[in-house]
Formats: sequence, C-alpha cells, structure tokens
Amino acid sequence: MTTLGLDPEELGRCVQCGLCLPSCPTFRVTGDESQSPRGRIALMRAVEHEGAPLSAPVRRSFETCVQCRGCETACPSGVPFGHLMARTREVIVQSGLSTSRPVRAGYAALGRPRLVRAAVRAAALGQRLHAVPASAGLPPLPLRQAPLRRTGSDAHLFTGCVMDACQRDVHRDTVRVLAAAGFGVEPTGDRVPCCGALHAHAGLGRAARKLAAGAVRALGDGLPVLVNSAGCGAAMKEYGRLLGSDAARELAGRVFDVSEWLAPRMANLPEVRPLDLRVAVQDPCHLRHVQRVHAATRAVLAPFVRELLELDDDGLCCGAGGSYAFFERREARAIRARKLASIARSAPDVVASANPGCSMHLAAAGVPAVHPMTLVARALGAQGGARGAQGAQGRLGS
Amino acid sequence: MRGRPVSADPLVAALCAVLGRDRVRDDAAERALLAHDASVFAGGAAGPVCFPTSTEEVRAVVRIAASHGSAVVPRGAGTGLAGGAIPLGRPVVVVTTKMNRILEVDRDDRIAWVEPGVVNLDLTKHLRPLGFHFAPDPSSQQACTIGGNVANNSGGPHCLAYGVTSQHVLALDVVLPDGEVVRLGGLDAEPPGYDLRGAFIGGEGTLGIATRIAVRITKNPPAVRTLLLAFDSIEEAATVVGRVVAAGIVPAAMEVMDRGITVAVENFVHAGYPVDAGAVLLVEVDGPEAGTALDAERIAEIGRAGGATSVRTAAGEEERALLWRGRKTAFGAVAQIAPSYYLHDTVVPRAALPQVLRAVYEIAERHGLMVVNVFHAGDGNLHPLLLFDPREPGTLARVHAAGREIVEVSLAAGGVLSGEHGVGVEKRDYMPLQFSDVDLDHQNRLRRAFDPACRANPGKVLPSGHSCADIQSLERLPAGVWA
Repeated sequence: MTTLGLDPEELGRCVQCGLCLPSCPTFRVTGDESQSPRGRIALMRAVEHEGAPLSAPVRRSFETCVQCRGCETACPSGVPFGHLMARTREVIVQSGLSTSRPVRAGYAALGRPRLVRAAVRAAALGQRLHAVPASAGLPPLPLRQAPLRRTGSDAHLFTGCVMDACQRDVHRDTVRVLAAAGFGVEPTGDRVPCCGALHAHAGLGRAARKLAAGAVRALGDGLPVLVNSAGCGAAMKEYGRLLGSDAARELAGRVFDVSEWLAPRMANLPEVRPLDLRVAVQDPCHLRHVQRVHAATRAVLAPFVRELLELDDDGLCCGAGGSYAFFERREARAIRARKLASIARSAPDVVASANPGCSMHLAAAGVPAVHPMTLVARALGAQGGARGAQGAQGRLGS
Repeated sequence: MRGRPVSADPLVAALCAVLGRDRVRDDAAERALLAHDASVFAGGAAGPVCFPTSTEEVRAVVRIAASHGSAVVPRGAGTGLAGGAIPLGRPVVVVTTKMNRILEVDRDDRIAWVEPGVVNLDLTKHLRPLGFHFAPDPSSQQACTIGGNVANNSGGPHCLAYGVTSQHVLALDVVLPDGEVVRLGGLDAEPPGYDLRGAFIGGEGTLGIATRIAVRITKNPPAVRTLLLAFDSIEEAATVVGRVVAAGIVPAAMEVMDRGITVAVENFVHAGYPVDAGAVLLVEVDGPEAGTALDAERIAEIGRAGGATSVRTAAGEEERALLWRGRKTAFGAVAQIAPSYYLHDTVVPRAALPQVLRAVYEIAERHGLMVVNVFHAGDGNLHPLLLFDPREPGTLARVHAAGREIVEVSLAAGGVLSGEHGVGVEKRDYMPLQFSDVDLDHQNRLRRAFDPACRANPGKVLPSGHSCADIQSLERLPAGVWA
C-alpha cells in the first residue's frame, strides 16, 4: 500500500466548498469532479487515509493536473495545493508507476544547456526543411542565436534552459530594457543550467533539488536575481521550501520577476512614444497565482503601448503548464481553446505573456504572443533607432 | 480512447451504449468522489456516473436507470450544503456540468435559455456586455450551476430586493422520472394551467431533471453604492437592519458578519474589513444615481444612530468587488479557524434577529462549540457556522445536537426550517417540526404525481414515513448520513 506522506494539516485544510472548481482549467473543460482540485484532494485523502490504491484512474486524475495553482488563489481556506500535488507526483514516480525512461532522459537533458540548444537547433532546422509537422505544436524556432554579453553587475539575469535555447531574443530585449533604466546585468548562462521547475512538476524531486542546490551555490553573491520566465521565477522563489536550507531561503528572497523589479523603478526609463498597439495581457499562472506579482506587468507595459486589454477569463490557465502541453496534448489544447476564445473577444493586436511556456503554447496556435520586455524594448528601440524585436516571439505586425 | 472494457454490469453497459465509454464512469475511486457535496454529509458510493450533453441523453439515461430499477440523482457542481446531491443506495448519478451552453439571449423579452450546467456567475458575465445579469447570487455563484439553483430555489445576498430563483425562472424543459419530457411554465406573463413550474423549482431533484431553463435576465442598475458599517455587537447590527427596512428603504442586499468570520475573511481578501469590530453590516443600494445617494446617506444616519462605530462607502467598483468577494468566500475561509464546519440555514422574522442570535451563541457555548455568524440579515436568513474538528471523538454528536436546537429556536421565533440551501438529507428529519402530518402527506402526493415509482433522488427532502424512502427501504440512511 502506498502512502503519499502528505502533511495531514495541509491535506485537512480543504472544506470541500468547491469555490476552486471554476478556477481549475481541467474541471472547466471536463466538468468532471475527478479533474478538479477538490476531487484531487479527495483522492489524495482516500489514498492517504483509507488505503485506496493508486489505480490508473486515480493516477490519471493527478497527471492531468496542469499545476497552474489557480485553485490556490481561489481557495479561501489556503490549501497549499501545489505542494500537495508536487509531493503526490513525486511518490507516483518513486513507486515506479509513471514517467518512462525516455521521458526521464529528456528531463535530465534540461540540466545540460548544450544539449538543449543542439536539440532546439535541430528542430529549427527541421522546421526550415518542413520535416517537422505543424501538428507537433511547436512555434517557429530560431536557427542560431548570438551569445548574451554581460552588461554590468547590478543583478543576475537568470537565463534558464528551454527559454535560453528558444527565446534568447527575449533575454536580449530584457538586457536592453534594463540598460535603458541604467542597470547592468550578468546573464547566468551555463553557470545555472536550469531552475528545476519542470522536474519538480513532473515528480522528479531529486533532480529538482539537485538543480536548485546548484543554483543556490552559483548565485551566492547576494545580488538580486531577475527572472523573465514566470515559471522559473516561481520555482526559485520556492527554493526555501524545496531545499529547506537558510541559503536557499536567502536566495529565494532576492529572486524577482523582471517586471516586479522594474515596476518601482519606472522613473529610470525614458519617456518615449508608445507603440501603436492594443496589447492583451495574458497572466502566466505562476506569475499570477504563485508569485502574485502580475500587477507589475501592467505597470511596466502601460507607458509603452497604446492600450492594455484585460482578458475576461479571470486568469484561467492557458494549458501550457511547462511540459504539460507536450505530454497532455489533448487536454492542453482543450484548455487553450478557452484562452483563444477569450483572446478573440478582446481582439488585441498582440498578447503579452511573461512566460516562455505560455507564449510558445499560444504561438503554436497562431497567437502573436510576445514577452512584455520585447514590447518595452521595441518602444524604446523605435525611438533610438535600435533593431526591433525579432525571433520566435517577436513576430509583430509592423 | 483510454481503454476500459465495456462493463460486465448490464446497467453500465447500457449507459455506455448511449453515452460512450468516456462519459460513463464506473471506477470505484471516481464513484466514491461523488459521495460528497459541499456539506458535512456523506452518502454511499455512487452508482455509475453519467455525463449527458443533451435532453435526449438525459432522457435515455433516466429510462435505462428505470428499466434496471435504479434510482437517479442529478448533480451540478456539488456546492450544495444540505446533502441534496449525495447518492443514497447506489443510484445512477447524472452530472449536468457538460450541459453548460447558454442557448439563447433575448434582450427584448429579457429571457435567456440556458442548460442546467451553466455556472451562475458565467451567465452574469456573459450578459455583462449587454447590460444585464442573472439576479440570484448565492455565495457559491462562482461555482454553482443554474440547475442547482433551480433545484434548491437558491437565494443570495441580492434576493432581498430581487427575489429568489423562482422569481427568475419562466419555463423549464424537464425530463420526468419516467423519461417523459415536458415543458413547465411558459414565456407568457401568465401561462394557463396549474403552476407546475413553481412546484418543480425547489424540488431538489425529486421531481425530475431540468435540461433547459428559461431565466429572466435583469437590467444592471445605473448606480450602486456599497456601505460597510462597523458595530460593537452583532445585536446592534441586527437591530439597524430592521430599522433600515422600517424606514422604507429596500436595499439590494444587507449582510451581517460577526467578528470571528470577519477576521477570517479579511485574512483572505485584504479588503479592509475592520477586524476589531464586534460585527460588520454590508449594505448595498442600487437604482438611479440620485436615489442611491439619498438612501446611502439615510442608511449611514440610521447606522450611526444605532451605534455604528464607523461607516465606510466603497470608493469604486474594485473596492466594492473586494468587499463582496470577502462576503461570498466566507464559508470557505472558516477553515482558517477549524478544519470543518456545519453551516445552518434558517429564516427568522427580522425583529427576532437579535434575540435568536443571542440564543445561537448560547447554544453553541453550551455544547462547547465555536460558532460564527454570517447571514443575509435583510431577509432574516441566518447562517450560523458551527466550527469543529471531525477528528475529535464525539464532536459530531454535539454539532448535531446544537444544530437541532438552532432549528428549534428559529422555528419558535416564528421562522422557517430552511432559507435557501434546501432540505436534502440535512433537514429531512426536521420537516415534522414545521409541517403537520397532513402537510407532509400532501407534499408526498405531489412528489408521487411526478415520480410514482420513487426513483428520483430518493431519501431526500421528505422524512421516512412520508416519502418514497420507505418504498426504497433505504434503512441504513439515517445512521450513515453523518460524515
């Protein structure tokens, strides 16, 4: 019999009120209690307290969770659902009930930046040769990317694994915006190959902790760590809980989403003519529901675009969920369909998304998704005659 | 398709033949999930769980269940608080959440046709760009379904001025327990014949399953003002509520929260609720700008005269929304205080509010239980929450005893058994406290006119001796309803 080893107090906090249901993307698309936070907690309790087996339907209920944590901001009782689910996934993996060897190998590769870059380059080449079918759901990938250079030592810029391989142009735009505000940064590059967020979500706890520990060692100099990927930022802010060490908590305390860090420093940026664009803000779940700093995205973007639009879905997940869009394709697309409908209703020129997973997932469905930093860089650059934003996420209509 | 072999159970196989394997669940864990709604009551495991998407499919499921001698229990989002949707005796569960289309909105006639699984707040959001909303707004409105609102004749804070669900439903297409489909009510102002629509609403799934519902849509008011008044005691707040109505003002909503619940709520929403007040009164007035301004001023005056220590007016829509979010998530927020709660729902005359509230605190104290109060003060609809830890042995018996006394005190004060949460299994055995044998017998005759074979949500609403329950012989029921 398997037990999940969940904190009984945390598991007991749910009072089954059901207010989380509409905030759960999988419940939204299925209407099925077993695909809801309340249902998943009930199943965790059944396994933990009543000895229910981790049967295939029960595991399925856990595996279809996007781990968006939209239920946490909806929960008046403060159930720490994300931690319960991460722990549950870890037990499932440890029990040998999930995650095939090729999948594990894929996750292991994330800690090896050269491998990731090579894989992305191969996929990009495949796209150019029309050897990668559109049904693969990949956005256009960059064939080559120039290296990022250090511009100063005010802060670290966390560059990450997949994002650095697929969207280095966003890092470049971020560096440019920070420079315009008078800050120089040190890109973390291969010093910190990966934050471990995807591993933690997949239940590969040991790998996640190893990567996190590496990041804590590499970034021990006390400088702020700026992150422009909402998923990575959320994971790094939770290193304290993940590793339980003082050093981890200390690092977590100086991790900032780049917009969160810039918002109180906006006076440093020059006044320029805003881009003539109507921009819908898509809040990445881990920015809105975990970091809860999504207001900063708006504060940073507002002066640089003609109009900011709010989507009407109360921050419901887009279905990207890190690797979710890759492994749970059917669910991810059903969830995305709701987001696409919401985007269509607000009829923006572009959609700003501060997370690479979301923007790639949306871009694969033809949404002009751009990182907020790309938009700000472009507004600043248009004034100074600098090169406009380009690359996978920079496909702006001109 | 994730493969499950078609079941050896002929009932499940027949259901799969109509709905497909994906929309019939027979796994033990998934069936056990539906043993609960949002209340403390637990049913047994459900029978097969069905997800129909049309009237025709509901009809087919009901007929198959009938031909296999199975009962049928409809379920929406499972946010009910009286155990109305929990399964007793392995019934087929018909989940309506996949029937969630808004079929038609007619602005001229102010009608919307919806399927039962449409979430209450989703309908209001859908209507917002058109300048309309659906008036019944239960606290669970972000999650609960219109079908569930119909089943329980749900209320909500704004029912003080706008009336409960029954006033907002014009017609329904209903699959009767024998599989016939009928339309009850009509879109005309005065449909001919008996008002079976009125009889059906509040039927808690014992009279059939509504599959299409014509609801009245309400024009959004031109102006809204929301006031938050703080008092030293809950009796003062309750007294002011009566005085506001006596002054001839009909606010859209008047809600009271005592200190215990205000602290929990504030901790979650950070709306600026005063956490040192004995109680707070949330009042909303709506209508033409000039009228609401005047009403707000008079309410503030009445409040100050009645001992309000502070009166705050929400500065804008954002602040207003935040205050309401606090009120509407109050039940969930109590988990910060205790791991479980038992929420009561009785109605008393407004004038009796202070006295009944005092009695409620006293009852809870006598049973060694913590109680917090958050309620629709405007229409005297009390919601005492008894807080407890189910892991403590013997607690549930005390909660049960205190609950019964609260019901008795409310009835003695001239009140009624249930405000808006329905009867379900919770109040079923209290029904004789309010109704005579003759009353109950006639209610049961109505029920049997709809459901002669006693297959629709058996064991709910009417106490055994007066209901289908005896025919179904669900003898394990009274012992098993407590979680």
